[in-house]
Amino acid sequence: MTNVPDVQSKAKATPEDRRAFFKSALAKASGLAALFGMSAKAKAEIPRSEVKEFLDPAVDPQVNHLDRMLEDLERALKKPMEQRKWVMVIDLKKCTGCKACTVSCCSENNLPPGVVYRPVVEEEVGTFPDVRKKFTPRPCMHCENPPCTPVCPVKATYKRPDGIVAIDYDVCIGCRYCLSACPYNARTADFGEFYNQDAPEIMDYEKRPNFEYGREWKRDPKDHGSPIGNARKCHFCLHRVENGMLPACATTCLGGATYFGDYNDPTSLVHQLVGSSRMMRLKEELGTEPKVYYLV
Amino acid sequence: MKNPLNTKEKSEERMSPSPKESPKGLNRREFLASCAFVGGAGYLALRSAQMLPELSGLTVAGPDGAFPEYILAKPESVIYTTCLQCHVDCQVKAKHWDGVLAKLTGNPYSPQNYLPHLPYGTKLETSAKADGKLCAKGQAGIQTYADPYRVRKVLKRAGPRGSNKWQSISFDQFIKEVVEGGKLFKSLGDNRSYPGFAEVYALRDRSVAKAMAADAKKVGKGTLSLAEFKKRHAAHLDKLIDPDHPDLGPKNNGFVFQAGRIEHGRKEFLKRFVHDSFGSVNAYEHTTICEQSHHIAFSEITGHKTHHMKPDLLKTEFVLFWGTGAFSANFGLTPMSERVTTGTVERGLKTAVVDPRMSNDAAKADFWLPVKPGADGALAFAFMRWMFEHNRFDAKFLSNANRAAATADREPSYTNATHLVVIEEGRPARLLKASDLGIGKDDQGVVMKNGKPLAFSAEDKSHPVEGDLFVDTTLKGIQVKTPLTILREEAMSRSWDEYESITGISLNLLEPVVRELTSHGKKAAIDMYRGPVQHTDGFYAGASVITLNVLIGNLDWAGGLSKGGGHWHESGGKPGSAYNMSKLHPAKFAKFGPKITREKARYEDFSLFREKGYPAKRQWYPFTSNVYQEIIPSFAMGYPYPGKILMTHKGTPVLASPAGNKMIEMLRDPERVPLFIASDIVIGETSMYADYILPDLSYLERWGTPHVTPDVTTKTSKVRQPAAIPLTEEVEIDGERMPICLETFVIAVAKKLNLPGFGKDGFGPGMHLDRMEDWYLKLIANLAAGDKPGEVVPDASEEELRIFRAARAFLPKSMFSEERWKKAVKPELWKKVVYVLNRGGRFVPAGGAHDGPYMKSKLGTMIHLFMEDVAAQKNSMSGENFAGVPTFRGQFDTSGKPLDRDGKYPFALITYKEPFGGQSRTISNYWANIALKNENHILMHKRDAAKLGLRNGQKVRLVSALNPKGRFRINEERVLDLVAPLETVEGIRPGTVGVSWHYGHWAYGSCDVEVDGQRVRGDKRRAAGLCPNAVMDVDPIVQDVCLTDPVGGSAVYFDTMVSVEPA
Repeated sequence: MTNVPDVQSKAKATPEDRRAFFKSALAKASGLAALFGMSAKAKAEIPRSEVKEFLDPAVDPQVNHLDRMLEDLERALKKPMEQRKWVMVIDLKKCTGCKACTVSCCSENNLPPGVVYRPVVEEEVGTFPDVRKKFTPRPCMHCENPPCTPVCPVKATYKRPDGIVAIDYDVCIGCRYCLSACPYNARTADFGEFYNQDAPEIMDYEKRPNFEYGREWKRDPKDHGSPIGNARKCHFCLHRVENGMLPACATTCLGGATYFGDYNDPTSLVHQLVGSSRMMRLKEELGTEPKVYYLV
Repeated sequence: MKNPLNTKEKSEERMSPSPKESPKGLNRREFLASCAFVGGAGYLALRSAQMLPELSGLTVAGPDGAFPEYILAKPESVIYTTCLQCHVDCQVKAKHWDGVLAKLTGNPYSPQNYLPHLPYGTKLETSAKADGKLCAKGQAGIQTYADPYRVRKVLKRAGPRGSNKWQSISFDQFIKEVVEGGKLFKSLGDNRSYPGFAEVYALRDRSVAKAMAADAKKVGKGTLSLAEFKKRHAAHLDKLIDPDHPDLGPKNNGFVFQAGRIEHGRKEFLKRFVHDSFGSVNAYEHTTICEQSHHIAFSEITGHKTHHMKPDLLKTEFVLFWGTGAFSANFGLTPMSERVTTGTVERGLKTAVVDPRMSNDAAKADFWLPVKPGADGALAFAFMRWMFEHNRFDAKFLSNANRAAATADREPSYTNATHLVVIEEGRPARLLKASDLGIGKDDQGVVMKNGKPLAFSAEDKSHPVEGDLFVDTTLKGIQVKTPLTILREEAMSRSWDEYESITGISLNLLEPVVRELTSHGKKAAIDMYRGPVQHTDGFYAGASVITLNVLIGNLDWAGGLSKGGGHWHESGGKPGSAYNMSKLHPAKFAKFGPKITREKARYEDFSLFREKGYPAKRQWYPFTSNVYQEIIPSFAMGYPYPGKILMTHKGTPVLASPAGNKMIEMLRDPERVPLFIASDIVIGETSMYADYILPDLSYLERWGTPHVTPDVTTKTSKVRQPAAIPLTEEVEIDGERMPICLETFVIAVAKKLNLPGFGKDGFGPGMHLDRMEDWYLKLIANLAAGDKPGEVVPDASEEELRIFRAARAFLPKSMFSEERWKKAVKPELWKKVVYVLNRGGRFVPAGGAHDGPYMKSKLGTMIHLFMEDVAAQKNSMSGENFAGVPTFRGQFDTSGKPLDRDGKYPFALITYKEPFGGQSRTISNYWANIALKNENHILMHKRDAAKLGLRNGQKVRLVSALNPKGRFRINEERVLDLVAPLETVEGIRPGTVGVSWHYGHWAYGSCDVEVDGQRVRGDKRRAAGLCPNAVMDVDPIVQDVCLTDPVGGSAVYFDTMVSVEPA
């Protein structure tokens, strides 16, 4: 306990230099897989004293995963849409159950009561004192073989070439067949409610448009225009993604558990993460081929 | 329906949209019923045909054509400001659309919200697209601001206090009435004369006040006779609260300003008003409601050098969260979560959590210690026992007795662990002086070195002195021990069986955790916050936990305990500052007298002590401040003097304090609380009892310069600025238009009373204080100028100035006028101020936190394991000295007597926060506080519930010795039941009951109120669940206030025993 660490005489690099270094290192994707997935497992076998040496250079400053994903995104957007494949990776070890993603999504898309795109499922497992709470964020899985699209009587919901399962609000008739068809309960119905409808006044934030699918969808209590009456679901914040921004849930994820990017780009962060030994998908046995991957 | 609270805007038709009617004109249910596809075929065919082109257009759109530019991604849609859904004060990016506050996310320039954060020079176009992180409640802040139950005009009660009947009045009438006082409620048949500010502002002459203050102090200490005082100040005795006790101060002290949450910038503005201009000593914050004892423990242990330290989460290898965590509250989940999760997954960080409940942190931790509530101090000593038994403490660090020895070992700090302490009548009383033994001077201490006494000076930089760690001996007839010996004696005084029985933690559970804590050199730390300290022994429990950090010597080391990166000084007074705010006052008042809470005051220094002796009528608090729960009970009791005007601000003691319901009767009684003004954004659980409600601006509409906490290890200064259209009524003062808010009130009252420090020449000749920005922009100019000469930020470019204007174009002129803002600061600083405003603050680059193996920003001071100044003071209720070394004695009343537990109420009550809510003011947040969980539950272990024959989901009532019926009265009409559904879980220690603290509102838009004769319907969703404070124990001696830690002042939340009954 009396060992005093040596004063390190590291050459001083400015933070900007370091950021630049990490950026270029990341672009080459050289050896940084160690930062993800496999690393925890590998490290457990290394003696503590060595771990210290191994850890220090990598952590200060840490890589900003959001910065990296924004770069990945920029690259992907330069390609034709058909060549992109948007996927999400959620590291359950990093999910703290804070639900910032759920609310971020509500606010970004101005979701009304009863409509939720990204709940976090909470469960308790074990008995005292060997007990833990588990948190599982559950967006739309954007299945490769979506069970929701074939049942739509008006072809309002469909899979885009970039893999996003979308809804055309102008076409949707609100029959809710897709709600029943989804094995993940990822769809909810917009009954045209307002949080403030029983209050003295419906405030402006509830009436402002949302920008889903790149359109302005006004929400007026006097006019039941779309998406009121429609089925609604997560669209990976397509309106943001197409503008070079990450989905709202990914940007705000407090634990840094949510990753997003183009799976077709082998240098992207999500491509690396999908290769983790911790990877799993929900209800794989259904053959839906979800594009949301979990690290457990 | 017109919103009677919103008297400013035009009435708006509210309609209830009918979900049954399809937007396409076809009734959805009809459609489904009419044989689905068959019945709808024609319609469908028509819709499909119409929509196909659009559909295909969307489907095949290329990357460049299909999506228009996202308006919220433009820098002109962004204002960077600072959150205040909790005191973490995250930096937020507020995005507006067409003047509507549309989205709140994190500010990527800030280390709190983006890890690592963007370089300060990053262009606004780039940062606009990089959203930072913000927690659920932060993002739901839109609903705190745009709450349909916001108060927009001044409300005056139109019935007895608490009757929920109001009339709206003009701002001018309000100012006139509260300044002049009189028969303000005559129309209600009340002929009482209410005091006004003019009457309470009794002592006005600054030089008289100064002379009286000096002499009154002498009377208090007994060095000047009362008769002599009266002779000297005969002409002004009528200005005193009590001429027979002049040391209680002038009548001005009758104005008591009680803020719940008030932060830097606004805090100094209010203190300027209350202290410097009005001359009252009584301005308060709420700190004892949170964790004040934790601050006082840090303060005493560090010799008053800091009151807050946090683990360096970026570098630590093991962190133990003790009664707190990184994922729910603390400082706070937004900045701390990712530091922990990336640490865990990417660099092998291990974590442990001490908490009776399976918190979100415990859910993710390697170790969970479900301690019995109130046993934290004992658990800390169990840790110490193991550390002493196994020699797992930093002996080399602890043996350094002075600065020179620390420097020789390359240690930034040293301790008094080896400094000999004199034991008098069995208690550690004081430090041994070298002069006591005749081996040195009065200001030198003594250590034993190889069994011989050695004199030393603590700050001696050239003669390193190390001491023997464990000493118990007698020198020249004086019994002495080292602080480390005293700690070891206490640690060893209990067997492992005793520790397990007190704490509920077996050696098997404890050992792996304490082994981890002592296996990482300096790179391990314990974060301690509310859990261990909101107890009657809070100060000592906190100090015991801090002692564990000291024993591993982790202070100022990377990965250890850090004082944080600090901030630039917005109040100025530094060599580079543009304005020295504390000097910019033409005639400060020499306020005097004890605060009404008797805080930071020794009972023995006042004339009341010499008359009455021990016990005092109520506790005096020599070490602590902002003893929130004591303000109203002291005011109402009139001890040490009666109050005249109570003004609450952004706080709700009735809902937030343990046993806050006891205050309801006090507040409803104008004899005990003569004038009650509440500054609030809604009609809240406390403001509902006020005579007047002064509408305030929410944090998204106004200014501030909050400080950063030590979990952020790089230098950071934050700015809060108007980011949304103000919703309160716009008024005019001397031709200046501004929305009603706290500052507007202060300016109006100050001008009416002609108080120096405000209005014309308020700062000094030619420098006026007529508007909010006259104050706040000077603070921001100080940030832009920096603390050192030349440490300035760049000028905003022309393009940045354009964005600055465009982003604020939607704000009304009364809030934003470039011309007026410009006038508030020195011309050469204006473009720099814009540069800071455009980024929401000032931030040093990421990566600047460390200095080799150390923190860059160091405390570097002597650590006090023996706190001599604590040992020297007496408990005013018992006359006994406080202990100077951390100790565990269980839970006790204010006089130090153990609490009586008769066993009738078998469960220990704890409270906690969900990550998506605040304590008392997030119930308007439909996205978070209501949509995520629409009520709270009474949480209990499954086995306990089975024993009581209760089942999950059943409605149950919470009862205690204080409240055996589990109900309380809020006004003439309503009695509230403490009833909620039971939730049975495995994740709570058996014998414990947990209730979250967000729900159970009876005001804040949850109930009907009458305004101007019109009924405003409440939203029942806001009334769901229960607030547990009405079962919480009062102190058995004082009886009108909750249990309180007599040293740290913390309000006790976790020492009430309860039971749960079927409702």
